[in-house]
Amino acid sequence: MRKLIDNDYVTMLSRLIIGLMYIYASFYKIVEPAVFAKSIWYYHIVPGSLINIMALILPWLELLCGLAILIGICYRGAVLWANVLLVVFIIAFASTIARGIDIDCGCFKAGKSATRAAWKTLWFDVAVLLCGLQLWFSRSKRWMLSGH
Amino acid sequence: MTSKAGKKTSVAVGQAILLGLVSVVMALGINSVSPNSIGLVGQYRSLSNSEGPIVPPNAEDGDPQFIDINQAQMEFTLGTATFVDSRDPEEFVCGTIPGSVNIPFEYLPEFDLEQYLDSSLGYVSHDEAIIIFCSGEECDLSLHLGRNLQDLGYTKALIFFGGSREWEQAGLNIQRRQDCGN
Repeated sequence: MRKLIDNDYVTMLSRLIIGLMYIYASFYKIVEPAVFAKSIWYYHIVPGSLINIMALILPWLELLCGLAILIGICYRGAVLWANVLLVVFIIAFASTIARGIDIDCGCFKAGKSATRAAWKTLWFDVAVLLCGLQLWFSRSKRWMLSGH
Repeated sequence: MTSKAGKKTSVAVGQAILLGLVSVVMALGINSVSPNSIGLVGQYRSLSNSEGPIVPPNAEDGDPQFIDINQAQMEFTLGTATFVDSRDPEEFVCGTIPGSVNIPFEYLPEFDLEQYLDSSLGYVSHDEAIIIFCSGEECDLSLHLGRNLQDLGYTKALIFFGGSREWEQAGLNIQRRQDCGN
């Protein structure tokens, strides 16, 4: 198990998955913060006064984390953020399913959709979190600009 | 071993704080010059005690989605929707949701309806949110206009059935073009 976690190629694959996912996810949110603020509003869990500031900062954090993980600069901090954010997304999304709120996650684009997609998104986030945990525990430092 | 793990964690926390600070600087800097900028503090109505949208008894399956005052106010604050007042011009000028477009349902033309509505709405994209309302629960012009818009391909036609009355009762601004004594 340890060998698999430390494997350079497995680690690189996880970096590609998480890095590209966060970079892609940040684009529409940076370009259209109002639309992303609307997506956050639909969750009904963030206080109104914090929605806009969250809609502004979160996409940049996603973009920087994605780039840092891909390039390998500020790598450990970026992996920490990536995992914390994924846990927050999973809890937030699970809470909407539990409360019967019928929304699209707003992860990659704005909009509403059926609950069928909600479970799919939740499992997708759990799978990505497994990649994130692998990165956290991996000792591989190959193909990184800085060693940590 | 433990001190190595502790060092690894403290490095990660330090870098995470740095990434967080850079994100804040980038977000605030870009937002201050972006044409799509939003206010830092959103002025949204409290979502607690929401009783959900008012739905008229004559609503049918397949009708446009009904929204409550909280969602209408959120769309208004973010400027992500076009508000359409479906009442007659005489009522529209007496008080409406600020910035609304007046498309009186009673005066819809029999021919070239699509052209008329597209033009009245300023040729907004058919997948942009359009919130239709009238005075309140006794008025179903918004429902009928909403059905027309949906039939013409406006996929995000939304009906705020609480209308201008619920809006005003919630303490939100009303735009009066004429003093009608109300």
